[in-house]
Amino acid sequence: MENSPALLRVKRLIKRFGEMTVLKDVSFDLRAGEVHALCGENGAGKSTLIKCLSGVWPHGSYEGRIEVGGEEVRFGGIHEAEEAGVAVIHQELALAPEMTVAENIYLGSEPTRRGLIDWGVVYAGTEAMLREYGLDLDPAATVSSLGVGRQQLVEILKALSKKARILLLDEPTAALTDTEVEVLIRIVRDLRARGVGCVYISHRLDEVFALSDRITVLRDGETTGTLTTSSTDRNEVIRRMVGREIKDYYPRHPSRKGDVLLKVERLTVGGEEKGRQVAKEVDFEVRAGEVLGIGGLMGAGRTELLMHLFAGVGKRLGGNVFLRGNAHLPSPPAVSIGKGLMMVTEDRKREGLVLDQSIGFNLSLASLAQFTCRGLLDEGAEFRRNQRFFDSLGVKAPNQEMAVGRLSGGNQQKVVLGKALMTEPWVILLDEPTRGVDVGAKVDVYELINRLTYDGKAVVMVSSELPELMGMSDRILILSEGRSGGLFDRDEATPEKLMKAAMAHHARRITEKQT
Amino acid sequence: MKSSLQRNISMGLALFLISAFFTLHPKGAQFLSPQNLSNLSIELAITAILALGMLVVLLPGMIDLSVGSGAGMLGGIACVLVVSPQYLGLPGHGWPAFLALAAATLLALGLWAMMGALIIRYRVPAFIITLGGLLVFKGAHWAVIRNSTIPVAPGGTENFFSLLTTYYIPSWGGYLLLILVSAGLFFARRRRRWLRLRHGLPVDDPKVDFLKFFVMFQCLLLLVVVMNHYKGTPLPLVILGAVILAIQTITRNTRFGRYLYAIGGNEEAAVLSGINVQRVIIGAYLLLGGVVALTGFMQTAYGGYTTTTVGNLMELDAIAACVIGGTSLKGGRGTVSGVLFGALIMATLLNGMTLLAVTPEVKLIARGVVLVLAVWMDVRFSQTGK
Repeated sequence: MENSPALLRVKRLIKRFGEMTVLKDVSFDLRAGEVHALCGENGAGKSTLIKCLSGVWPHGSYEGRIEVGGEEVRFGGIHEAEEAGVAVIHQELALAPEMTVAENIYLGSEPTRRGLIDWGVVYAGTEAMLREYGLDLDPAATVSSLGVGRQQLVEILKALSKKARILLLDEPTAALTDTEVEVLIRIVRDLRARGVGCVYISHRLDEVFALSDRITVLRDGETTGTLTTSSTDRNEVIRRMVGREIKDYYPRHPSRKGDVLLKVERLTVGGEEKGRQVAKEVDFEVRAGEVLGIGGLMGAGRTELLMHLFAGVGKRLGGNVFLRGNAHLPSPPAVSIGKGLMMVTEDRKREGLVLDQSIGFNLSLASLAQFTCRGLLDEGAEFRRNQRFFDSLGVKAPNQEMAVGRLSGGNQQKVVLGKALMTEPWVILLDEPTRGVDVGAKVDVYELINRLTYDGKAVVMVSSELPELMGMSDRILILSEGRSGGLFDRDEATPEKLMKAAMAHHARRITEKQT
Repeated sequence: MKSSLQRNISMGLALFLISAFFTLHPKGAQFLSPQNLSNLSIELAITAILALGMLVVLLPGMIDLSVGSGAGMLGGIACVLVVSPQYLGLPGHGWPAFLALAAATLLALGLWAMMGALIIRYRVPAFIITLGGLLVFKGAHWAVIRNSTIPVAPGGTENFFSLLTTYYIPSWGGYLLLILVSAGLFFARRRRRWLRLRHGLPVDDPKVDFLKFFVMFQCLLLLVVVMNHYKGTPLPLVILGAVILAIQTITRNTRFGRYLYAIGGNEEAAVLSGINVQRVIIGAYLLLGGVVALTGFMQTAYGGYTTTTVGNLMELDAIAACVIGGTSLKGGRGTVSGVLFGALIMATLLNGMTLLAVTPEVKLIARGVVLVLAVWMDVRFSQTGK
C-alpha cells in the first residue's frame, strides 16, 4: 500500500474568513484503497477543509494546492468536484425524502429515452448496484420510510453511481444506531477493497481505530502530521488533538457560592426519534455564584439537555429537576422564564434574534411585561432600559435602533445575552456562548459571565472548546452519549482527563458491537 | 429606514399619476368633484379598514383569503336579522339594527378565533384554512339570504345599520374633529421627539419635523373643507380614523403588537423568548374577525342591500393594499402608514375606473395587474432591503 499513488493531495492549504484564519496550514494525502481518518476537536477546521475539497469554497477563496491523481484541480463549484470524482457524505443528508431510493440515486442524472425518463434503466441499475455491494434495500422504497443509517447508505450509493473515487465522509455515524454503524463500517471496508479512497472524519476514536489505515490530526486549523494507525495509540492521538497551551485569557474570578439554584437528579430524556435517549440518568447541581461547564463531543446530548430544562423539549422518562428548591416540570419557555430560568441558544440567527428588527426590539423582546402599564408599552421606560444594556454590554453600533442583522457575530451575541439578562434570571443556560465570536468579544462574554456569578446567579455553560470550558468553569460535567462521563473540579481537570471522559461511553459501544 | 421613505415617495408619485390620469381623462371631469371625493373617501375607508385588519395577520406570516366572502356573509346575516329574521327560522318582525350588528359581530369573533386555532394548533397552513373559509362563508351567505336581495333597512327607512355609510358629520363637527385630531397628532409627535432626544436617538431637524406636521395638517384641513362642500365628513372616515388609531397603537405600543412582528421575523426566536405563539395568532385572527364584521356592515350599507355578490374579491384588494404598502407576505415587516397608502391606491384606481364607466372585465384585469405588480415590488424590495 505504501507504493500506491496519491489519489488526493492537499498542500499547505490556508483558508481565511475575514480576519479569522480557520485553516492555517493543512497538508495530507490520500491513497487509493485507503481509509484516512481526520481527527480534531470541534472547531479545529474539519468541516471547512471538506468544503474546500468539495468545491463549496471555490478555488481562489483559499490558498494552497489541491491535487487529484497528481494534477492540480481548481474546482469552481460542487459540480466540478463531482466530475473529478470527489463526493461528500454530509452529516445532514441531502436526499429528497419523498422520492424512492432509485429516484434519489439517479437524481440529476436520469437516463432518458426520447426525452422521457427511462425508468427501467433507473430501477435495474439501482438493483445491480445494491447486489454489487450486497445491500438489502428496496429500490422502490420511499427514502423517508428508511432509518437514518439506511438513508446514509443511499447517499453513498448515489455518490458511487457518479463514479466517485474519493469519498469524504463527514461525521457519518453521528446520527446512527449501533447496528447501522456496523453496516456503514462494512461498506467502507468494501469500498476500500475496491480502490476507493475515503477521508473519514470523526472524533469517535474507536471507530477511527477500527477502520482507518492512517490518521491525520487537525488542531487549530493545522495538521500535526500523519500517523499510521497500526503503530500509534489513542493517547497519542488525544495528546495531539488537545496539546496546546491554554492561554490566560479566561478571566474567571471564582465567586462566593450560595444556595443550590438548579438541581438535576437522575434525569432521563427521550429524543425525537423513537427509542433514542438524549440524556440518561444525568445528575448535577449548580449553586448561586457558580459556573458549571458542560463538555462532551458533538451529539453527546448537551444541547438536548439544556433544551429540555428550558423549553421542555423531549419526553422526560425519569428523574427530577428542582429550580430554586421547587420541582420544575417540562414546560414551555414562557413558564421557565417566569420562574427565573433563561437560556441563550447556540444558533443565534435561527433561534435567538429577529434579524430585521432593531437592537432595542431584540433586547426587550423577552421582558416586555416589565414595561407594560395598563396594556400599553411605556416606550420611555423601554428605551431607558435598552440603553442601559446597550451601553453596559458594549454593543458596537451607532445606536439601539440599528437592525441586528447588520451587526457582527460578537455584537449579535451580546444582544442575545442582553435579552436573556433583561429577564432577570436566577439560572442562565448558555449553549456555546462564544461560537463564531471574535477574540475581543469572547473576553467580553467571559467578563459578563463573571459579573453574573458575582451577582449571585447560577450559570450553566455548554462549550465544545476545552480551553474555554477549563478556563471559565468552577466545575465541569462531561457528557458522553447522553450519560455523565465524569464531574471534575476546576483544579483536577486536565484536557486528557476530559477527553477520555467524553469518550467514556463510546468505548463501551464499540466493544458491545464487536462481541 | 431609507427604503421605507423611498417607498412612500414612490407610492405618493404613483397616486399622483393615477389621479392626474383620471382628472385629465375627457370623461373624468367629475373625479375631483366634492361628491366623487366624498364617495371615494367612503370606499377608501372600507378598503383601508379591511387592509389594516389583514396587516395584523400578515405581520406574523399568516394570511386570510376568507375576509371578502366573510364580510359579505356577515353583512347578509345582519340584513336578514333586521329585515326578515324568518329566513333564519327566527320569530319576530326584525331585530333592532344595533342588536343585529352585535349578533353578527359575535359570530365573526367566534368564527375567526376558530380559524386561528385550527391554523396554529394543528399547523394547517393559513392559506388552506382560509381558502376553505372563503368557500364556506360564500355558501353560507347565499343560503342565509336565499339568493335574494335584502335591504339594510326595511323599505326606505333609516336605522343604525344604514347610517353607517349615509351619516355625515355637519361642517362644524368636521372642524372640531380636525382640531382634536391635529392636536393629538401634534402632542404625540412632540412627546416622541422629546423621548428620542432624551435617549440620544437621532431626530429630524425641528424645521423638517414641523414641516411634516404642517403637511399632514394641511391634508386633513383640505379633506374636511372638500367634504364640507358636499354633505360633510362621512361617518366611515371617522370610523377609519378610529381604526387607524387602534391598529397603530396595537402594533406599536402593545406587547401583542411586538409579538406579531417577532413571530413573523423569527418564530423560533419568538418561542424561545417566552412568547405564547398560539395565543398571539388566535388573538390576531380574533381582531381580524371584528374588522371583517365592521367592513362587512359598511360595505353592505354602502350598497344599501345584501346580495350574492357583496364582498366579492375584497380580500384581494386588502392583500394588495398591504403588499403595495410594503407589508411582507413572509411576515415581520409592514406599517400602518404603508397600508393606508396602498389602500388609497387601490380605492382610487377602482373609483376612477367606475367613474370612467370602464367595463367590469377591464376593471378586473386592471386590479389583477396592479396586484401582480405589487407582489413583484415586494420581492424586489425584500431582496434589495437586505
